[in-house]
Order: sequence, then C-alpha cells, then structure tokens
Amino acid sequence: MEKYAGICGSFPRPPELRRAINAFNEGRISQRDLQEIYYSSLLKVIKIQEESGLNLLTSGLLLWDDLLRPFSEKLGGIKLGGLLRFFDNNFYYRLPIIIGNIEWREPITLNEIQILSRATTRRVKALVPGPYTFIKLSKNKFYRSEDALVEDLLNALKQEIEHLHKFVSLIQIDEPSLVDPELEKDDRRWGVEIVNELLAKMNVPRNKLLIATYFNLDLESYSMLLEIKAGLHLDLLSNKEAEEAVRELGFKNDVLSLGVVNARGIFPEKPEEIAANIEKILANTSPNTLIVSTNTWLDYIPFENAVEKLKILGRILRNMEV
Amino acid sequence: MGYKLPEKFVTTVVGSYPYFPEALKAFRLRKQGKKNFEYERLVREAIKKTIKDYISAGVDLISDGEQRREDMAVFFAEELRGFEISDYVRIFDNVYYRKPVIVDKIEWNHEIIVKDWKYAAKLSQGRPVKVTLTGPYTMYSWSFDKYYGNMRKAVFDLAEALSHEIRILIKGGAEYIQIDEPALSTNPKKEDVILAREALEIMLGRLHNVKRILHICYGKIERLFPEILDFPIDQLDLELKNSKYILLELLKEFSFDKELGFGVIDVHNEKVESIEEILEDIRLGLEIVPPEKIFVKPDCGLKRLKREIALAKLKNMVKAAVEAREKLA
Ligand SMILES: [Zn+2]
Repeated sequence: MEKYAGICGSFPRPPELRRAINAFNEGRISQRDLQEIYYSSLLKVIKIQEESGLNLLTSGLLLWDDLLRPFSEKLGGIKLGGLLRFFDNNFYYRLPIIIGNIEWREPITLNEIQILSRATTRRVKALVPGPYTFIKLSKNKFYRSEDALVEDLLNALKQEIEHLHKFVSLIQIDEPSLVDPELEKDDRRWGVEIVNELLAKMNVPRNKLLIATYFNLDLESYSMLLEIKAGLHLDLLSNKEAEEAVRELGFKNDVLSLGVVNARGIFPEKPEEIAANIEKILANTSPNTLIVSTNTWLDYIPFENAVEKLKILGRILRNMEV
Repeated sequence: MGYKLPEKFVTTVVGSYPYFPEALKAFRLRKQGKKNFEYERLVREAIKKTIKDYISAGVDLISDGEQRREDMAVFFAEELRGFEISDYVRIFDNVYYRKPVIVDKIEWNHEIIVKDWKYAAKLSQGRPVKVTLTGPYTMYSWSFDKYYGNMRKAVFDLAEALSHEIRILIKGGAEYIQIDEPALSTNPKKEDVILAREALEIMLGRLHNVKRILHICYGKIERLFPEILDFPIDQLDLELKNSKYILLELLKEFSFDKELGFGVIDVHNEKVESIEEILEDIRLGLEIVPPEKIFVKPDCGLKRLKREIALAKLKNMVKAAVEAREKLA
C-alpha cells in the first residue's frame, strides 16, 4: 500500500493575499501586483505543505472564492447570483444561474496546477467541482431537459480534467451533495449515475480519479458511494456511523482518501491515536493507495491554525510508516 | 410601577433594535479597548433611545435593544473568562470575520448585562424588560474550541457561567429570562437537541416566578420536535412569518400548549406589514393556543433593519394586536 498525506482541498489565503485582493478590488494595486503576491503566496503554501511532511500537494485553491468558482465564472452560459449557505457551514457561496449553453472555453485551473507541479518534486492533486453537486447548488433557467444540462456540463468538466491530468497524479472531483442528508435517496442515486457517466466519458486512468464527499457519511450513503468506479475521499468526522461504514463495507477500488483531521475546528488531534485508528478502520481492506487527509477544505479556520493542522497530518503519516 | 400587561396578545420584541449612532460609536471605543465613562454614556444613550421607540410604538414587554452588543456571541465571549477572539476566518468571497475561541475553562467573573437591564427597567415606565442571553449551545457552535475538545463539557460550563448572570438579574427584579439559541436550528442532531435541553435545565430548571423563554429562528426548527416540548421553558419564541408559518402544522400535530412567541414581522424584509396582514397572521396562531398564550412579536432581532422601518413595523404590530384583542379574542 502506498501512503500519502495531503489536504482535501483549499488552504486559507495567507494574510498578505487577503489584503492584496482587497487592495485590488478597491483599485489600490494593479492586476500585476496582485499576480505577484498571488504567486509568492502559492509558493508559500506549497512550502508549508512540504515542511509539514505532506507528500501529496494541492495548490491551496487560493483564488477560488468557493467550490463552484472559478468554474461558474469561466464556463459559458452561467452568471452569478446571490450568496447561499454552503451546507451546514457559516460559509456562503454564490449561486450559479444557468442562462445559456454550458460551454468550456479555455483551461480554468491549469495555470495554478502548472505553477504547483513546477514548484515541487512531490506528487500533486488537482481539483474540480463534481457535476451532481454543481447542479444541486445552482439554478437552471435555461435547459428544458435535465439530460441536456447534464450532457453539456459533463463535456465541460471532461475537457478541463483532460487538460489537467498530464500535470498531476490525482484529480479530485468534489461531490459533497452525494452525501447530503437533506436529499432523497433516489436523487442521490441519480448523482452516482452522473458521476459514473463522467468517469466513463473521460480518457483518464481510473486510478487517477478521486470522488470527494464531505460533511456526512453513513452506512446508507457509503453503500451507494461504493458503486462509483473511482477512488473516494470520505469525511470520517462528520457522523458517528462513518468509521463503522468503512470498516463494515470495506473498499475495493485503488485510491482511498480518509478525512481524519478536522478542518472545521482548531482542537489539536493526537497523531498517534489517529494513525492507530486508521489501522483498525482498514482491518478488512487494503487499497493500493491510501491518503490521510483533512475531512474537508481548510476554509473554515484561520491561516495559522491551518498550518498546525498540516503538521498533524504530516505526523500521522510518519506514525503510519513506522 | 403601574403598567399592566394586556391579558391577551401581549406585544413584545425578540431583543435587538437597530443600532443608534451612539451604539456604533461605543463599538469603536470598545474595539480600541476604551471602555471608559464616555463608552458607558454612549451605550446608555442608545438604550434610552431604543426604549423611547418601543414605548412610542406601544410595545408591552420590551428589551434594552442589545445596543451594547455588536455581535451576540462575540459580546458574551469577550465578557466571560476562558475566551479569546480568533484570527480571520472566511465567510464568503474575500470577506472575513473573527470568531470566539475557547482557550481555557469558561467561567463567569463579573456582571455582564445587569447594568443595561437595570437602566432599561428604570426608563421603561413600568413595562417589564426581558433579559436576553445568547445560549450555551449557540455560544459553543459559533466558537472554536481549543480547550475542551468536548462539546458537552463546554456547553455545561457555559450554562453554569450564564446561570450566575441570571441569578443576579433575578435578584435585581428581572421576571422574563430569554435564552437565544439560533444555532440550534442550523444543524441539529438529536444528541444536540438533548444537550441543549440539559443546558437549559442548568440555567432555568430551578427558577420560580420568572417567565422562561427560548428564542429560535430560521433553519430547520422542525428537527427540534418533539424533544423541544419537554424543554424547561414557559414560552417558545419562534420565527414564523419568514418561513410562511409552515411550523404551525407541527405545533398543531404535537398539541403545543406552552406560551407561543408568535413571529408576525419579517426582519429580513424592508416591506412594512400592514395591520390587516398582521391580524390575519395572528388569527393563524389561534389554531394552536388561546389569546392568553400568544405573544405577538417580530420573527427575530430587529438590528439589521433601518430604524424607521423597524419602528413602523412595530407600530403596525401593536395596532394589530390591539385590534386582535377586540376582534379575535
Ligand atoms: Zn433570532
């Protein structure tokens, strides 16, 4: 089993980038100044990951305002609406409103992935929002048929992913809606079908693809997730049933990412305990690739606390290696 | 003093009122660490103006308008022992805020809102003034926990700390104690509902001769049923107007028979509800409990509205309640 440690998604914007974005929005600095600060912030976040002992790196998604942007900004056929609560968090995303044919026009996240892969010799992971979550979190004012919407969206995501995959070891497709307890079972089943459809469409090896869910996991939703023909990222902290679900039902695909460090709180975990617990969870299963990760994006805690969380992740990996 | 509450359709408020300029100035002084004489004067002035508005609208059971509290959780965190304030956390886009952080055992060590309540009571011309406190479950949910790593322990310590404040308030004459738990409706798991109830037991369980109120708003209030029916409270204060009274079905189904804080003013909508509209809404409440148990009030705190609008809304609310006493009782 190959073992990795890496964050699930974003890393908090370093304070200097946060201030620079404000300065840019208020017209106090130029686009070029902002680019420079962004570039140095990205290098900083890469370095923090390396120094914490992580061996699967992300770009930290430092310019993403939420999971659906930059896609909702750069895909054709979508305009932005008001703010909506992002699941049960005190965090808000902007509603994508579909007003025309969804169309991929140019690479959306390629730039940050190229910087990332050039800046490190370690493995790297790219990230895109999944089609089901995209549909669930947006408003369709254009398509009469859901099938047509799905087809265009899948084609758009396929093009982005195919542009990214040469530069990365893994592509994570975020699908928190797949485990949303508010949604009906049949609706979620449809979600699994869409995801499998996307996977089948793409000319990318299956062992490079990871479907990420977070904020919930129970026996029922996990058994449904097992029908997905790719790797899975699971939030083991969201629900008491989560660990039990994985222990009982196992896992048969290549890549399993376990969200074991809480990205929504700042209480420091004990790496030794978590490492030992992972062994218990995996008693009956042995994926080719195991990733220890934060349960979700690190968007919900301050920058300095997130740095601490990365150190904990690094220590868990070292504990599992001995 | 001689103010007699009406027997039916008492009008009240949830707690906060739009901030007067004096309150905004006081927030700035507070941020600079200048909790001086001028700071106290500004807060008092803001409370005085709030009470004046309440009385001019004719509200029966009033509050201090929470003019000292810029944020309902951060304020209590700053006043209780065991908290710090966090670094910046994102809320959306590039907008950030700071959250309370629990860094040590939570304890009460000084009076927090007693003087504001006393001041308001002095100016209220005999009207009762309700006390509003941010509840333990909400305080914990809206904070980071770096100390306990255990929600139950932290919530119980918060409940103990707030109990101190409540005891002093009651000794001073407060008769209406309201606990605000808006976080309880965002993502309530059953174990959380039970925990919130245990915390209320600590704070309100042994109180006599006071009215114990719980305010909850927005989100998934329905998830709190049926456990909420056994909470140690006399009055459940609900947001109803904004969610178009869908909760009433549930209240009916469970034969709700406590007093009902009945939201008839949408605080997220600038439009001033007409007297007729409010009267129609009050009528819906009668399908649940008799007029003696209906407290007519806005859905939630009024602080996000413009003052003129908040006042106009309160005026219509009171007029509607007066009509209701004649027409519906
Ligand atoms: Zn409220």
